[in-house]
Amino acid sequence: MDALDLHCQMILEEYREALPTLERMQAEVLATLRKALERNGLVVTAIETRIKTEESLAGKLALKGGKYATLSDITDILGARIITFYTDDVDRIASIAEQLFEIDWNNSVDKRRLHQLDSFGYNSLHYICRLPGYDMRFELQLRTTLQHAWAAINHDTGYKSGIEIPREYMRRINRLAGLLEMADDEFSRIRTEITDYRRRVQSLVQNGKLDDVLLDGDTFRSYLQAKPLDRLNRRIAAINQAEIQDAPLIRYLRVLKALQCNTLGDVSRLIQTYEEDAYRLARHQLGNTDIDIVSSAIGLQNICIVCILKTGGGKIGLERLFEVLNGNNSQNASIAEMTYQQARNIELI
Amino acid sequence: METTIQQSGNQIIASFSGRLDTAAAVPAADAVKPLLEAENSEIILDCTHLEYISSSGLRIFLSIRKEAAAHGSKVIVRNINADIRQVFMMTGFISLFEIQ
Repeated sequence: MDALDLHCQMILEEYREALPTLERMQAEVLATLRKALERNGLVVTAIETRIKTEESLAGKLALKGGKYATLSDITDILGARIITFYTDDVDRIASIAEQLFEIDWNNSVDKRRLHQLDSFGYNSLHYICRLPGYDMRFELQLRTTLQHAWAAINHDTGYKSGIEIPREYMRRINRLAGLLEMADDEFSRIRTEITDYRRRVQSLVQNGKLDDVLLDGDTFRSYLQAKPLDRLNRRIAAINQAEIQDAPLIRYLRVLKALQCNTLGDVSRLIQTYEEDAYRLARHQLGNTDIDIVSSAIGLQNICIVCILKTGGGKIGLERLFEVLNGNNSQNASIAEMTYQQARNIELI
Repeated sequence: METTIQQSGNQIIASFSGRLDTAAAVPAADAVKPLLEAENSEIILDCTHLEYISSSGLRIFLSIRKEAAAHGSKVIVRNINADIRQVFMMTGFISLFEIQ
């Protein structure tokens, strides 16, 4: 600090006076970005903001203090960084930032576009922004998680020791940048393809072409959005005028596969085939109780029970069902036995 | 009907004993209020000495589950007897709770 000339010391004094304003600005920038991402349904790895420390600023001034007339010429006193999962999101957030802040285009850099065709390296988008109501500018960095990892490791290996890195090592680090760039692109492509696949499945479900859709976690969720079990659940709830509580059904995927359901068409036929008996079982179980609350899993649960019994799975099959639904438990056998007897009472078997 | 709450680290154990019927539901709902605020905790509903549960009792368990999900906590129902397990089965509640 002793080495700083009077001009730089005045900038440092300016910095000390501006700190409360910078802190207000930091909170506003963070809140504005968070709100905008949420409004646009964008999930990111991190949003970070920081105010340059006095020590760091003094170091910068010692190196190139003459370049700045006043504190406001230094554009990275306040910095914000958004780290995204996907490269596509960097562009989306950039366009959102253009709406939120006044961009100083002369000082903003899209380093992703600066690269030579035959080289790789630090890819990031830097906007110099002004928040409405403030004179000071701030820097907004946008990069993907992989770009961030590369930049952080590159910074650590390249600058920590203060010794220049031999070209051979730099070449290897830059090869990794190329590899990560390919991985980033591939992640984006995979996301796009998965989204397309989900749309296609939803369309097939909506058009009733269920035999064309293989049963998996994604397709099962899409199928459930059409609420194929609502009618049965409402009938069961009506036995005691019960309320229905939503329950996740994804754990039934394993059960349905074990029951030889390979497509959504198979699931649909399973429901149609056993719906009436599933209702009879529920009526037998709930009819002489005053229980007026059921979960939305009850319909599918009873369909699976009936299917197991009708296809000869017996008590062992029921026990396995309860193991899937409820984990290994010493009482599964007795519940299976009880359910088996109830099914016999109403001549399901 | 008695409800006791014990906390140890990020685990909270609510122990129920007796019959959790309509009459017992109001004091039980009051007793479990601290559970509804628990952040990032493991909430154990210990039913070792619970003899019976009515719809009102199931609703209390549900409210604990809903608040736990909203506060990043998880709920485990422990040691239910055969009758209560039967209630959980015929209502489809075994799909809502982790039961040990």
